[in-house]
Amino acid sequence: MTQKLLLKSALPAALTALLADHAVFAPTGEAERHAFTCLSSAEASETADAVNLDGLTTISPKEILFPRSETLYGIGLENGEISTPEPTGPTVIFGVRPCDVRSIANLDCSFLEKGFVDTAYVQRRENLTIIALACKELQSPACFCDSMGGGPASAEGADIMLTETADGKAFLVSFLTAKGEAIEKLWETASVLTEPNSADTAPPPPVCTLKVDKPQDLPAKLMAAFDDPAWERLSESCLGCGTCSYICPTCYCFDIDTEISGGKAEQLRCWDCCMFSDYSRMAGGHDPRPTKKERLRNRFLHKLAYFDERHGRTLCVGCGRCIAKCPSGVDIAHVIEWGGTL
Amino acid sequence: MTNEQKQTLMRERAAALMKDGAVSYVIGWRETRFPGKTAIFFVRDEKDADMLVWDEYTIPLTAKYLTENRWPDKKIGIFARGCDSKAINRLISDNQVERENLYIIGLPCEGKKDDRCLSCTQRDPLIYDELLWEPENATGTSETDLQRARFFRAEEVESLPTDARFAHWEDVYARCIRCYACRNVCPVCTCRECYVDMHRTGFQGKHHDAAENRVFGVTRAFHVGDRCIECGECERVCPMGLPILGQTQKIIKTIEGLAGTYEAGMDPEADSFLGKFDLDDKDTFM
Repeated sequence: MTQKLLLKSALPAALTALLADHAVFAPTGEAERHAFTCLSSAEASETADAVNLDGLTTISPKEILFPRSETLYGIGLENGEISTPEPTGPTVIFGVRPCDVRSIANLDCSFLEKGFVDTAYVQRRENLTIIALACKELQSPACFCDSMGGGPASAEGADIMLTETADGKAFLVSFLTAKGEAIEKLWETASVLTEPNSADTAPPPPVCTLKVDKPQDLPAKLMAAFDDPAWERLSESCLGCGTCSYICPTCYCFDIDTEISGGKAEQLRCWDCCMFSDYSRMAGGHDPRPTKKERLRNRFLHKLAYFDERHGRTLCVGCGRCIAKCPSGVDIAHVIEWGGTL
Repeated sequence: MTNEQKQTLMRERAAALMKDGAVSYVIGWRETRFPGKTAIFFVRDEKDADMLVWDEYTIPLTAKYLTENRWPDKKIGIFARGCDSKAINRLISDNQVERENLYIIGLPCEGKKDDRCLSCTQRDPLIYDELLWEPENATGTSETDLQRARFFRAEEVESLPTDARFAHWEDVYARCIRCYACRNVCPVCTCRECYVDMHRTGFQGKHHDAAENRVFGVTRAFHVGDRCIECGECERVCPMGLPILGQTQKIIKTIEGLAGTYEAGMDPEADSFLGKFDLDDKDTFM
C-alpha cells in the first residue's frame, strides 16, 4: 500500500474534484452546529472557512446512511399511482472519525445481514465511499474507543485513511479499498496528491483517558443481571429523553409513519428511540417496559448484550457522545464497568 | 459558609433523615465523571448521603423527579433552592404532588455557574420544612440586582427585525432533533400522557422535519408558557443548544404587559394565569 500526501492547501481542490461526480458530506459548523452537511461547490472551494475537521461532530454521520426521515414510497390519492424516491448517486463522507467509521459496520449488521437486505440502505451503502480521519488529539474526555476494540487511528471500515502530519500542514493518505483507489485516480488527475518525503510523518496517535474495563463475557453477565436492583440506581437520574439515541452513531431504531398532503400519502421511515413511552406500547395499551428502568435496561442490554449475541459486535463504538451530552449523567461506561464486577 | 461546609450539612441532614426513617429517600445531587457536571441522585440509605455534592455546578432541578412518585408510602425528602421551590409550588398548585408528602430541605442558593442563573429572581427557597443555612442576601433578588435582564432571551429575539425573527425561529426548528429532553426536564410539563406520545392520533407526526418540530416547539411553549418558572432547564438539557427559553419568557413578558407583575411558582395556592377563570367574566367578545 502506497501512501500519498495531501497538503491542506490542496484540500479545496481535492473536495472540488470529488464534487464533480459525488455528493460530498463533510463536517461543517461549530459547537452544537458541528455536523456533517452536504457541501456545495462554493463551500468545497472555500474549505478553510466551511469545513471544520476539529473535534467530533455533535450528531454522528449515521443520518447519511439512515436518514432521520425518509420516504419509502408514496401513493397518489386520486390515481393510486405508486412513486418511489429517486435513488441517491455516488456519495463521499469526508473526515469521519474512526469511531464513527466503525459504527457503520454496526449499521451494516442491522440493515444488510441475517437474511434481510434493506433496499433503501443497501443502495446508499454501495454508493458510499468513506474517507476517514485519524484523531491526532483526543476529541473529548468521554472518548473510549480504544476500550471498545477500536482506536483513535483505526482504519477499520475506511476506504481512505487520512492521518495528519506532525507539522499539521498535510495529511498522509492511504487508499485501502477499490473504492478508495477510484478516488486516488480522481485526485491524481486533479494533481492534488504529492509524494511524501521522510519528514512527513504522523505523530503517535493519542490514548483515550477514559479506560473502560470491558470483560469478554459482558453479554452473559449483563443478561444474568436482568433482575438486578442496580438498574433502578443506574436509571434514577434518567429523564427518558432521546438525546443518547439520536446523537448515537449506532442506534438504528425507527418507526413508520404516514403523512398525507398534496394529494399524496407517503410512508415515512423516521428515527425512533427506545426511551420513549410510546416505543414499546402495544395495541390495547399494555407496555412491557412501563418505566424508565425497564427502558434504560433494554437500551443498554441491546447495545452491550443482545446485539453482540446476534451479530458478534458490541453496539457501542466508544465515541462518548452520550456520556458527554446526557443531561442527567447517565453513563454507558459505568454500565460496562458494573457489568464487569458481576 | 463555604460550599464544603454546606455540603457537609446536607450529608449529615440526609443521613439523619434516612436513619430516623422520616423519609423514603432524599433527592439531591452527585458528581459525574466530569468536573463541572453533576447529576440528580437519590439518597436511599444512610451510607449514600456521603455521595451528595453542593458546589457551583449543582445545577439540575430536583423538583421534576417528584412526579415519578405521586402517591408515596412515606414522605419524599427533597433539597430545594429558590428555583426548585418555585417548581414545587407549581406542582402543588397543579395537583401533581401533595404538600404533606414532601419533606423539603431549603437551600438558599448563591447562584450557580450557569448563564441562566444570572437572571434568577429567586435564590432563596419559598417553601420548606427547614432551612439548612441562613440566606446570605434578602429573600429573592430584586429586578435591579439581576446580573442579566429577567427576559434576556426574549429580548434578544425582540431586538431583531421581523424577517430576522422569523429566520431565527425557523433555524431553531430546523435544528431541533425532537429528543424531548426539554419536555422531560420541565417541572411544569406534567401531563400523564403527552400529546406527542399519543400514537396514531395525528397530533404529532414522527416525521423529523422543521414543520413537525415547529408543531412541537410551539405547542410546548404555549402549554407551559404561563406556568414557566423561568429556570432555564430546557436550554441546559438541549443537546443542540437551542435558545428555547425565549419562547416562554416572551409569553410571561406578554402576560406582565397585559396584567402587571406576574411570576409563576411564587405561591402554592396561586392559579396559573391562563388556568384561572371567573364565572362573572363578561365575555363581551363572545
